[in-house]
Amino acid sequence: MRIIVHKNKCQGHARCWAQAPDIFNLDDEGYILPGDIEVAERDELLASRGARSCPERALEIDATADALLTRLLFNQACGGVK
Amino acid sequence: MACKPVPDHVPPEMVKDFSLFTSPGMERMPNGDPHAAVACLHDAPPIFYSPNNTRDGRGTWVITRAKDQRRVLQDTATFSSHRSIFASALGENWPMIPLELDPPAHGVFRSLLNPLFSPKRVMVLEPVIRERAITLIDRILAASTSCDVMKDFAFPFAVSIFLGFLGLSDKERDTFVGWGRDLLHGENVKRTAAALAIVGFIDELAAMRRKEPAGDFMSFAVGAQVNGRPLTDEEVRGIGVLLFVAGLDTVATAIGFDLAHLARNLKDQQLLRSEPDRIGLASEELLRAYSTVQMIRVATKDIDFDGAPIRKGDYISCATMIANRDPEEFDCPNTIDLAREDNRHTAFAHGPHRCLGSHLARREIVIGLEEWLSRIPDFRIKGGTAPITFGGHVFGIENLILEWS
Ligand code: HEM
Ligand code: SF4
Repeated sequence: MRIIVHKNKCQGHARCWAQAPDIFNLDDEGYILPGDIEVAERDELLASRGARSCPERALEIDATADALLTRLLFNQACGGVK
Repeated sequence: MACKPVPDHVPPEMVKDFSLFTSPGMERMPNGDPHAAVACLHDAPPIFYSPNNTRDGRGTWVITRAKDQRRVLQDTATFSSHRSIFASALGENWPMIPLELDPPAHGVFRSLLNPLFSPKRVMVLEPVIRERAITLIDRILAASTSCDVMKDFAFPFAVSIFLGFLGLSDKERDTFVGWGRDLLHGENVKRTAAALAIVGFIDELAAMRRKEPAGDFMSFAVGAQVNGRPLTDEEVRGIGVLLFVAGLDTVATAIGFDLAHLARNLKDQQLLRSEPDRIGLASEELLRAYSTVQMIRVATKDIDFDGAPIRKGDYISCATMIANRDPEEFDCPNTIDLAREDNRHTAFAHGPHRCLGSHLARREIVIGLEEWLSRIPDFRIKGGTAPITFGGHVFGIENLILEWS
């Protein structure tokens, strides 16, 4: 899956990085680096958690990227995946 | 201050008798729960006018919903931070920096300061923070099976780390804490005296570091450049005073509310004690539920905000303690669920003014709780005592007497 980074919205809360420091890279000021992030399949849960923890909504999960994510989201709505 | 309590342009039906200072539950009281008291506002309209909602009795619009607060906090062109709140207490007019600047000037100073407070920079401080917590807790354990958490742990812990960060000596800690308290919570006379003392202190420190740099924060500030020029004296003062005010007692207060919660909710205490890995996530939930800061913005132009006729010069309140109990944003907002995920609370603000010290504050809170829980056995509020809480511009907790066996 892919995470679309809206760099202009990032205010450096670093909540994404706190969840997944290997996926979300910050610059020296503590703000997200520009550029969308390709996430390996095994990291998807962690990455989506990181994205969903961004208070500024700067990280958008690219839902069109693949069907896996749909499954993930669907399961969550039912309280499935934790 | 001379303004009418309710300006003519405010429709009477939009006025609500609510104030973070004077409403029921906001006063200084034993076993108070000011956060629960403001949570009731979610039964009220999303925006209303409060005739008396600042320390000096000014009216503000109150935005209760998280979504609407985000709109205000992001639209810095319409909702400005330029209020000179601190300087105005002295009859002066200079901004605290970056708090009372708007973009783009704001960003210039944030870029200067961000690297000093970045998550990675804070990681380096971790051993010092932990060591400080352990020393204080061991001293408490050696002395007794009871203590006042605020006086014996939270304040000395948070304030000394903060002073160390600024390169200030720990010796005058009580003086500094007293200034902070008078400034945030004191009556007008005390407030002005504290403001003068802080300004005098910062100016003097800046002058000393100009003469002889010491490799500390103030030396950095006096040597720093923005837009290719050195900072002015007024800018150095604006930065120094803000850091002093913003960082001094906020972390101690957070730790106080957190440990009060754990002392009253033994299941939660047990959970974190047996699974310390949960403390990070739990501390976010506690920050959400016990947020302490009200943000104020001033309208730069007339605007209709969902039917509210906001006029140029009006104050707009975005209180974190209200938004973070918004049921549209958080399931069961008044249930404190230490395992809550996707917790996009705004205890550290939202938008460009996101708390500069948030990474430092978060590490201190987590480390403080980790060391407390791993060293102090099952604790509860000491029989016959009651923590005193209060509302206001910044919520607080004065004392927290715990006992254990
Ligand atoms: C739990 C502790 C803390 C809380 C809840 C907190 C909360 C906040 C909030 C809500 C704001 C935004 C104010 C506004 O926009 O009107 C803010 C700004 C700020 N805070 Fe904190 N803070 C805490 C600790 C600290 C510490 C430890 C420091 C310094 C070391 C600090 C320094 C600042 C600064 C410099 C700003 C201004 C940022 C700007 O305007 O760009 N804070 N804080
Ligand atoms: S959580 Fe959001 S605001 Fe914070 S660093 Fe990551 S992208 Fe930026």
